[in-house]
Amino acid sequence: MGEPAELLQGSLELLVLKALSLAPMHGWGIGQRIDQMSRQVFHVTQGSLYPALLRMVRKGWLRSEWRVTENNRRARYYLLTAAGRRQLAAQTEAWRRASGAVNGILAFGPSEGRA
Amino acid sequence: MSLWSDWSERVRALLFPARRERELAEELRFHLEQDIADRVRRGDDPARARRAALAASGGVEHVKENVRDASGVRPLQNIIADFRHALRSLRRDPMYTVTAVLVLGLGLGAGAAVLAVADSVLFSPLPYAAAHRLVRVGQLFEGSTSVWQLSTVDAQAILGQQRSFESFGLVNGTTMGLSGAGTPERIPVGRVTAGFFRALAIAPVAGRLIGPADEPEDAPPVVVFSHPLAQLRFGSAQGALGRSVTLDGVSHTVVGVLPPGRDILGPGIRGSAWSVLRLPTPTRRGPFWLRGVGRLRADVSVEDARRDLARISERVYPLWASSFRDQTARITPMPLLDSIVGGAGRSVALFAAGVILVLLVAIVNVATLSLVRASARAPELGVRAALGASPLRLARLPLAEGVALAAAGGLLGLGLAALAVRLVARHARNLPRVQDLALDGTTVLGLLLAALATALLVSAPAVLAAVRASFRAARRAGDARRTGVDLGTMRLRRSLVVAQFALALPLLLGASLLFRSFLELQKVNPGFDPGPLVTGSVSLPTRRFPEYPEVQRFWRLLEQRLAEAPALEAAGLADDLPPGPIGNVNNFDLLDRPVPPGGAEHLAPWLNANADYFQVLGIRLLEGRPFGPADSGAAPPVVLVSRAWAERYYPGESAVGRRMIEGGCTTCPPTTVVGVVSDVKYQGLTAPAEVIYGPLTQSLPRTAHIVARGRTTRADAVRAVRELVSSLDPELPVVEGTLQARMDAALAAPGRSTAVLSGFAAVAVLLAALGIFGLTSYAVRQRRREIGVRIALGADTRAILRMIVGQGLRSAAIGTTIGLGLTLLEARWLQAFLFEVPATDPLSLLGAAAGLLLVALGACWLPGLRGSRIDPVRAIASD
Repeated sequence: MGEPAELLQGSLELLVLKALSLAPMHGWGIGQRIDQMSRQVFHVTQGSLYPALLRMVRKGWLRSEWRVTENNRRARYYLLTAAGRRQLAAQTEAWRRASGAVNGILAFGPSEGRA
Repeated sequence: MSLWSDWSERVRALLFPARRERELAEELRFHLEQDIADRVRRGDDPARARRAALAASGGVEHVKENVRDASGVRPLQNIIADFRHALRSLRRDPMYTVTAVLVLGLGLGAGAAVLAVADSVLFSPLPYAAAHRLVRVGQLFEGSTSVWQLSTVDAQAILGQQRSFESFGLVNGTTMGLSGAGTPERIPVGRVTAGFFRALAIAPVAGRLIGPADEPEDAPPVVVFSHPLAQLRFGSAQGALGRSVTLDGVSHTVVGVLPPGRDILGPGIRGSAWSVLRLPTPTRRGPFWLRGVGRLRADVSVEDARRDLARISERVYPLWASSFRDQTARITPMPLLDSIVGGAGRSVALFAAGVILVLLVAIVNVATLSLVRASARAPELGVRAALGASPLRLARLPLAEGVALAAAGGLLGLGLAALAVRLVARHARNLPRVQDLALDGTTVLGLLLAALATALLVSAPAVLAAVRASFRAARRAGDARRTGVDLGTMRLRRSLVVAQFALALPLLLGASLLFRSFLELQKVNPGFDPGPLVTGSVSLPTRRFPEYPEVQRFWRLLEQRLAEAPALEAAGLADDLPPGPIGNVNNFDLLDRPVPPGGAEHLAPWLNANADYFQVLGIRLLEGRPFGPADSGAAPPVVLVSRAWAERYYPGESAVGRRMIEGGCTTCPPTTVVGVVSDVKYQGLTAPAEVIYGPLTQSLPRTAHIVARGRTTRADAVRAVRELVSSLDPELPVVEGTLQARMDAALAAPGRSTAVLSGFAAVAVLLAALGIFGLTSYAVRQRRREIGVRIALGADTRAILRMIVGQGLRSAAIGTTIGLGLTLLEARWLQAFLFEVPATDPLSLLGAAAGLLLVALGACWLPGLRGSRIDPVRAIASD
């Protein structure tokens, strides 16, 4: 397991949306899931996760509510809204196009190694 | 992005910040616990797991800050936090807070009240449709400043020839006896032509107003009631319609009722009822007894109307030149608002000037106080600046404090202003249009702006100090502590004290000038002793006293009964009373020194009285003879003149035996001056005492006043007068009074101005004294160590006292000098309010300056004394 990679600008929101598309989850769980899904490549710090969650609530993509966990602990759960699902679809599509293009560029011509 | 979710989140963040924080803390705590539990599950021991989890979180406070930044309400929350901080720090210093709020509240409240008065008296439009087209029409003479009324001749000429007005009406104010609806009383009545209400464009609340059909001689008599009179007499406006009332003995039908608040119409005519004015057939150019009100055509300016009316004057003059030889007389229009506001604008301006000065002193005072607080906070500011707080950040607290103080002061001021406005509306009835007085939107807006400006001004010095502190800190941190005295702040405080004295002096001087003027006014000998004298006014209605013989018979009879009345020591009759102003001013031309043809004739107040009148008032005969029984009816007309009159027209000569043409009546027999009597002030206490007396039995007025001195109490005398009149005619109402009350009324207005301005001055001086006291105390505290060293080196206490007091007095003296300069600029303006006292009166100038300096001396003495008693050992040992 190498050093966790830095998240690309704007991709955190996409990862959070994706993590929540399976089931509502609290902040710690979202971080865990992103960890797992990226096979420990991306590590989301609390300092960027929680502000991002609040921003997404303000944008109307997420909703938050207090629920009780399996261990009987109160925790704030985040849920995808309809707008959030649409956003996930749109961002996924945009990401595919962008990453495809970037991949194409990287595959073009002789590689000079890492810039 | 959803606008709704965004704003609802922001509002929630703003409204429930504590809950937000609690939830955030709980969320992060949960995260941490999960993390620890997770690490323990993977085999860490709990203590290590905790440390690792904390390290991974990147610092809980840091996370919270990031989340708060993402809330989108950070700037607003900062402002709220600033205010919280400001309120907390104000609460910690209740003396300062209470003082500042009181001072600002008083200043702002007084300002708002004066603004409300100025707004409704001077600036608000008249309550008539298209009021800018309304003009009053009067007569101007060359060299006279007051506007004369119109004569019947003028009125008819205007009605027949004018081309400027859409409608033009005339009004004559009088009083009439009202009976037939409750107790008989005398009420003010406006007699109007049909054009009057049309020109003002007033609609009745019930019935109709007076129209052209009411004007013919044989039309049934009608009357329009004011709203309060209708309610008082008949319960409601509707209830008054069609009812029959008796005015001066003539039965009138109530045909209409005016809207509420319309008791004063047009140029200052107060009427409880309005009846029809019929113009008599003129026999000469005078008398001048009518007020004209016109509504200009839409395409006609006041200037056009002036030319139009001037042409009419020129046409009228030659027709009546035999009875009126003043060719300079011009029928003149003037905007109605100007003619209503008249001289009231000046006294409102005086109060406004006073209030502005007080408000400025108050602001400077609070600014000084806030600067003191800023100095006390200087070390804290220095530290914060050194830690990197921006100047803006440092300035925010004093600014928030200023806004909070001004807001509280503004609220207090609003309450005070509402109270003051109610008092003014109730008590200053001689102020024109005061019935419209209200604390309206304009005033509240004005107060708001003033409070905002106050907030900025009050916090400005402290903000400046904060900014400077941050720059100083940036240059060399901690230096402020070493030097001890912040010279810049000290200079600022000194100039604020100078400003307070400069502002207080004009107020103190104005008040002392008004006070001296008021004393002069009271010293004026009115020419009689009002003390025990009672008055009773009687008017003879035309129905029961239709012709002169009946009138003459009644006055004769009354005169006789008065002379015989056992309860009365003496009683006289006259058609007007001092101190006036008396309504009857007549023109005359002296046979031995006639005015050149076409020139303006002399004018004098004219009073008709019987012989006993002079005795009751103690008016002495100086030369010639008094009125006798022979001076009546058809006997050659005679007059008595006052000494002032004799000295003006016949200086150094005898006035007795001189003859004059009275009222421009060249065909009447000339009038002879038979005697000179001592002066009495009839045209107000400030005017000259020139007056001409005619015998009551030769002029036969319909209204006369009994002046009586009783043998016992005033109440007995009043009862005797009333019983006497009702024994002659039980239906005649008698309006009772005392001459003392009339004198008091004449002194009331100047007394009030003096009192109000003295109050302003007292507040300003007190504030200035507090200001300099604070400055000197502060200076002593700052220089404790230095003074201690001086004392240790042998300086004696008197020298220390002299040094401290001298420094304070220097600021006061500079301020006072600047104030004197300011006052001299305004002297000419102030002169208009003064009687017998020059505005540059050296005694008042020096007195006010000396008084102010004396107060400053007192205010510096205490801190000076404290300074001179500093214990050198302790002072030097202390930090």
